[in-house]
Amino acid sequence: MGIFNRSTKGHVTPPIEVTLERGALTFFSETIGETDPIYLDPEAAQAAGHPDILAPATYAVVVGTFADQIARRKGQPDILELINGDLRVLLHGTEAYTYHGSMFAGDVVTVENEVTDFTDAKGGKLEIAHITTRITHPTRGLLVEATRGIIHRLG
Amino acid sequence: MTVTPTNAQVGDTLPALTFGPISRTTLALYAGASGDHNPIHIDLDFAKNAGMDDVFAHGMLSMAQLGRLVSNWAGQDRMRALSTRFTAITPVDATVTCTGTVVDRHEEHGRVLLTVTLAAHIDDGTQTLRGEAKICGTP
Repeated sequence: MGIFNRSTKGHVTPPIEVTLERGALTFFSETIGETDPIYLDPEAAQAAGHPDILAPATYAVVVGTFADQIARRKGQPDILELINGDLRVLLHGTEAYTYHGSMFAGDVVTVENEVTDFTDAKGGKLEIAHITTRITHPTRGLLVEATRGIIHRLG
Repeated sequence: MTVTPTNAQVGDTLPALTFGPISRTTLALYAGASGDHNPIHIDLDFAKNAGMDDVFAHGMLSMAQLGRLVSNWAGQDRMRALSTRFTAITPVDATVTCTGTVVDRHEEHGRVLLTVTLAAHIDDGTQTLRGEAKICGTP
């Protein structure tokens, strides 16, 4: 049998507010090798018509992780704890984003996770947790929907 | 003529992007910058106890490169979707090369939508990610 706590299927985590801080965003963009100034320099971003520096395409995963950290500080389980993820045998299987709007430094967004399903693969050698994360802005609405497959290597 | 989202046709390729070599320092920085503190990527003792020979790169660090490949070419405003499957582990010191090919262009509700298949390979030819992007191609 698997390790994931499959009774959490259908669970939706309480909404968590995350502020996209300019410094954190710049650190991320520099680390991934981004050089386009719209991701690094507020003046360049504003000259390009953006309110502030833009979050790169995969920043949704970081916003989700920050929401996890905030949940833990509030004494709530993060998503991995909730589904009983085991880091020793855990692999990231899939990651997908649907974009409805951009995220910028200064945005305060709401993050919600849903445990949508658990499946098995390779004759039970792998078990997969399917998580959907929705990032919403109070006035601009849904910005990004992320779906993720998290794998346990079993035996 | 330079290939852009508005003139791209099926079979056209995006300018390739390389990233690396991915050092242990890069992994430490990515752990801090992304908030992904999973020790399997930064702590050799933990990795060995988990049965691995060494730490290995965050899959999301390579997906970030696929994201850059697409946003550098199309502009992020045109990105409608980005997805990937992580097909192999990326070892320390690997250099990642990201490529994209336009495989579909069609009109949907009066808008042009491009489908681009994406891949990441490391130095020895191993494919580490394969994915897809949906891009708005309306002029």
